[in-house]
Amino acid sequence: MNEKEIPTNKQNYNLEFFGKGSEFFGIIIVNWLLTIITLGIYYPWARVKKLKYIYGQTSLNNERFHFSGTGWELFVGFIKVILIYIAFLIVYGLLIMVNPILGILFVYLGLLAVIPFIIHGSLKYGMSRTSYRGIRFGYRGKRGELAGKIYLWTFLTIITLGLYSFWFSMNLRRYTHEHFRYGEIEFSNDCNGGDWLWISLKGYFLTVITFGIYSFWFYRDIFNYYWSNLKMKNGENVITCKSTATGSGFFELIIINLLITVFTFGIGTPWVIMRNNKFICDNIKLNGDIDLDSIHQTEEQYNNATGEGAMDYLDLEIGN
Amino acid sequence: MLFEGKYFDGLSSAPFQVSVNFDFLKNKIFFKKENEDFIYWDISQIQFNNYGNLFEIRNKKNLDSVLKIDDENFSQFFFQEMKKNRGIDIHTQITNAGFLKISIITFFLFASFSCLYFYVLPPIAEKSVALLPQTFDNYIGDMVMNDFIDQNKIDNEKTEDLQNFAEKLYLAETKKLEFTVVKSNKVNAFALPNGQIVIYSAILEKIQSYDQLAALIGHEVSHVNNRHSIKALSKSLAGYMMISLLFNDVNGIMSVLAENVQQIHSLSYSREFEQEADEYGLKILINNNLDPYAMVELFEQLEKESEFSISEIMSTHPLIKNRKEYMQKIIQNSDYTVKTNNQLSTIFESLKE
Repeated sequence: MNEKEIPTNKQNYNLEFFGKGSEFFGIIIVNWLLTIITLGIYYPWARVKKLKYIYGQTSLNNERFHFSGTGWELFVGFIKVILIYIAFLIVYGLLIMVNPILGILFVYLGLLAVIPFIIHGSLKYGMSRTSYRGIRFGYRGKRGELAGKIYLWTFLTIITLGLYSFWFSMNLRRYTHEHFRYGEIEFSNDCNGGDWLWISLKGYFLTVITFGIYSFWFYRDIFNYYWSNLKMKNGENVITCKSTATGSGFFELIIINLLITVFTFGIGTPWVIMRNNKFICDNIKLNGDIDLDSIHQTEEQYNNATGEGAMDYLDLEIGN
Repeated sequence: MLFEGKYFDGLSSAPFQVSVNFDFLKNKIFFKKENEDFIYWDISQIQFNNYGNLFEIRNKKNLDSVLKIDDENFSQFFFQEMKKNRGIDIHTQITNAGFLKISIITFFLFASFSCLYFYVLPPIAEKSVALLPQTFDNYIGDMVMNDFIDQNKIDNEKTEDLQNFAEKLYLAETKKLEFTVVKSNKVNAFALPNGQIVIYSAILEKIQSYDQLAALIGHEVSHVNNRHSIKALSKSLAGYMMISLLFNDVNGIMSVLAENVQQIHSLSYSREFEQEADEYGLKILINNNLDPYAMVELFEQLEKESEFSISEIMSTHPLIKNRKEYMQKIIQNSDYTVKTNNQLSTIFESLKE
């Protein structure tokens, strides 16, 4: 029997978010309590609680995602980051005594040098701690390769006076997505800098001439572009994504979020976060023929949360 | 006791229907996939997440495989078992304590932190300034003064006169004082922790007598002698440190330090500091055989000023009326003799030219 003759079965996919503001508020408030009582030491555990809730309330075909990271891992990650930070400061202090320009140069070059490693570590950790139906996600990007690419893209961005930054961000997205795995499933993203430049220019221009009104449609375009280019592939089978988000949808989401935040003096933030997640899940439609029951564990165990710690410490956010 | 569940074995994404049972003697739960051996999990080795009645159970020894049971009876039963085995983390325990208890804990915590913030922290911060060496005061003062001189015009002649004037007074200073007159139409004067006292030309114009000038100088010297600006800095920094600890914002501390240092000459002192400075100014007047009522007159001059323009010194000096009355009360209860001081009078005349 030839496998290719088996007709592909179109599957139904249903992405949902079940999180409730009141429940999330409870988690945040208890996080806050414990963090204060422990003078901040509980912070990594608090972060894990938050992530576990958000992942656990995200469901595909009625099976929930799972974040399996632990407070200890993040705690150790943070400690490492702080030690690296202190070492960095000491070197900086010594250099600035020798020559201030050398010190400043060291900060910029040091930060630039370290960013790819942070991105790599964070993705590696984050993906390895995400699972669905008992199968782990993974990130297979190579640290050295990514670093080389990022240094090159940074150089190109500088010599083009920033124009290349549009290609930079899309190249980075493509590289990282292409190295995501869920079992045998490979991810890819067809984005490119040219499209991104056009979307951005159009968005900025129209937002300015409509006094900001177009910004909601600009958000829609950004969201569309991200999801419509994301593909998953398992051998012959694929899943493609489509965004159903509309400008008016974004308008409603953002305006109501703003009202909630303002009128509750920020206490309503947990509700806002839940609304955002629900909006995202409600507006992504998956199509394709990958059988979600047929995936096998392929990714190796990974144990290092330094990258994640650094991301949080430096308040960085990448991709999505 | 059997519960129906779904099991993912961590090898493939396919679910298996399983029946889950408890073995209380061995403290284990067990279940089996079709045609395979029973799988036993130690209850003490279990991790779980629950979403309503849906429980996701994992084994710490193999975190990939997961057992999912959605059953109200199981939910209650299992929770009790986990409690016995201390398998419930502190966060879940508090969350399950219910809204009322969480609110009460939050309230008390909030109350005790407010108490700490408003009543405990400020005196500690103030006292701890004693641990800081005077070189710190000088460093901060020099830094601000250099900045200030760059941005303002100094009246050299009057500065010399003022310095002369101050040297004729007995001030009980703790460090070398340097006086500066700057050309400005702001009615203001300030003291820096390094002993720099800056008096704006506009306030000199308002001052009617050498006694009044001595009163102003006495007041400003008190800020230096009692390290008021460093105490205020320490207080605001300590307060900010606590707030940032609560909200995990460590970077903010440095920005507050930087900001307060820059603003040190317009820093508003607390009422206690101002009162202390007033009392000190009064003492200076009495010790130098000058008229203590000059302190009251000085307030009146400044008060007049504030009627038609916002004067800087007034905006940072709280409740001038109360301060005036308080001064009058002290003067009535103190012995003093007033002598004409020709030296001061001559210098003052020159200053007013």
